Amino acid sequence: MLTRTDMMALTPVILVCATAITVMLGIAWRRQHAVTVLVSALGLNTALLSLFLFGELGTVRTPMLVFDSVTILGMGMILVSSLACATFSHAYLDGFPGAREEFYLLLLCAAAGGMVLTAADHLATLFFGLELLSMPLYGMLAYTFRDRNSLEAGIKYLVLSATATAFLLFGMALLYAQTGHLDIPGLVAGMSSGVGPWALAGVGLVLVGLCFKLSIIPFHLWTPDVYQGGPGPAVTFLATASKVAAFIVLLRIVEAIPAFHGAQAQTLLAALALLTMLAGNLLALLQANLKRLLGYSSIAHFGYLMVAIVVADKLAVETSGIYLITYLITTLGAFGVVTLLSSPYGGEDASALHYYRGLFWRRPYLAAVLTVAMLSLAGIPFTAGFIGKFYIIALGVEAQRWWLVAGIVVGSAIGLYYYLRVTITLYLMEPGMQRRDAPNDWGLRAGGLVVLLLAVLMILMGVYPSPVVHWMSLLSLAGS
Amino acid sequence: MELAFYLSGLVAIVATLGVIVGTNAVHSLLNLIVSLIAVAIVFFALGAPFAGALEVIVYAGAIMVLFVFVVMILNLGQGADEQERLWLRARTWLLPAALSLILLGTLLVTLAAGDGGQMIGGRTLTAKAVGTTLFGPWLLVVELAAMLLLAGLVTASHVGRLPRDRRDDRKGGD
Repeated sequence: MLTRTDMMALTPVILVCATAITVMLGIAWRRQHAVTVLVSALGLNTALLSLFLFGELGTVRTPMLVFDSVTILGMGMILVSSLACATFSHAYLDGFPGAREEFYLLLLCAAAGGMVLTAADHLATLFFGLELLSMPLYGMLAYTFRDRNSLEAGIKYLVLSATATAFLLFGMALLYAQTGHLDIPGLVAGMSSGVGPWALAGVGLVLVGLCFKLSIIPFHLWTPDVYQGGPGPAVTFLATASKVAAFIVLLRIVEAIPAFHGAQAQTLLAALALLTMLAGNLLALLQANLKRLLGYSSIAHFGYLMVAIVVADKLAVETSGIYLITYLITTLGAFGVVTLLSSPYGGEDASALHYYRGLFWRRPYLAAVLTVAMLSLAGIPFTAGFIGKFYIIALGVEAQRWWLVAGIVVGSAIGLYYYLRVTITLYLMEPGMQRRDAPNDWGLRAGGLVVLLLAVLMILMGVYPSPVVHWMSLLSLAGS
Repeated sequence: MELAFYLSGLVAIVATLGVIVGTNAVHSLLNLIVSLIAVAIVFFALGAPFAGALEVIVYAGAIMVLFVFVVMILNLGQGADEQERLWLRARTWLLPAALSLILLGTLLVTLAAGDGGQMIGGRTLTAKAVGTTLFGPWLLVVELAAMLLLAGLVTASHVGRLPRDRRDDRKGGD
């Protein structure tokens, strides 16, 4: 049964779920967009606060969940990105003709799912966390469903995600058939006498299911269309919180389960990483749509992050923490600008690159934020992205994975081209182009402030990274 | 018991193949019902009578019948009689009927052989055991499932919402 400590550790998840219920009851009583946003933000902030309070407890194991420092970090990142998405969607949904409040309900449910996923220590919580993360996302992606692209994005994600889930479930069934356990410590114990063929097939299928969520190549085919079609705030959530949660659970099971430590499994993971970082960058080269480009760029970034999965030691956990934080801040910033430019909602998002031509001359600060985000994604020194990339390369060098290090270097060189192409577009003068623009008072609104804050963080982390580095050096997975 | 397990497993596979190759929604649903009942017999054979009974009552009983009704009701209109006659052709019901007969035969043979309380291996999981697990250590998962259903419901109600003018059209039209 649940003890007091268990309840305290579970408080952030419970708070987010309670906020979702409150929002639901509020919708049933009276529809108020601004109040709904306030309630959601209040709930997420309270959860974040409780996370800091109860993060002091140390490692807590409740039935089926484990709360260690990685869990706390993951939950914190999911809450921060949910908060950012809630503020972005406040501006975005202002112009939406249909019901607006349900979006926050879905957002809160998805956040709860992601938080459970980062703490998953049992295949049942892994599955339910992943589903609770994905199910609201279908609704969020198809939220502006009268726009064909949005509906297409939602349905595409629904069908392909269900296929990936089928793989995941079948893998879990095989793991259970081999070991007779569903909890991860039990699985590890069951494989102590040697990894059987069924367990090997099982972990392979589980890997497929999780790689789909991370859009690791060759499981990436859904990414560009879904990123392009979905409404801005939903895609922001998909690119940040959903990926962070899936990555943390993948890191946890790869670190724990011995089937991933064999030479062949290592080769397979390394090949996936190399393929993902190279192909992701190559595919992004000729994109004329910023959201698509950012989609491919996120594929490439998770290719870099796969290096941490391949190495999977203490330093790898620290590296993943740092890289995930830099990725989160940068991606939130980039998608935040795209969402602000498309706010308030008026048909398809302003994501084609030509909307951004000459942005600097109209909205200098917004263009500056996007510039910093692009430089950070490219990994230019004095931005957050550089620190992350530095750590990943250091990790690859230390583990003597020369192929992967070469892949990162080549991938970054290719990446530089398209990130800079976007940056140059911002400063080109082109009168008479069709334009969509952010509202004039964007900088005074919550979404604008969040974007500016993120840009400051990107630079601050690049110039003065030691507090974050110190914090990350304390990270460790429970039981390893 | 082994025979029941393998035979109903085979029936489930064949019926599910019928579901995915069928082009007509109602035909596929018929096959899906057979497949679910076959899975229920697999559960019985494995010594999980509670899961088996739930599979029959909830999936085959409530959800699938609801599906069939909805599909049939939505097809009401001019050509409904014609459509009904088409559905009653032997080609439609022969495969599901044959598969159901196999299942019935399996069930009768197993009952006649007199090993009713047995199963392939392990121990029988009673409804009480399932309940204490679900509302003991798995309580969290039950709550998560509730949140999952809420999210699914909200998604369906939002995306399924018709714009006001079109809703009025439909009311007038019927």
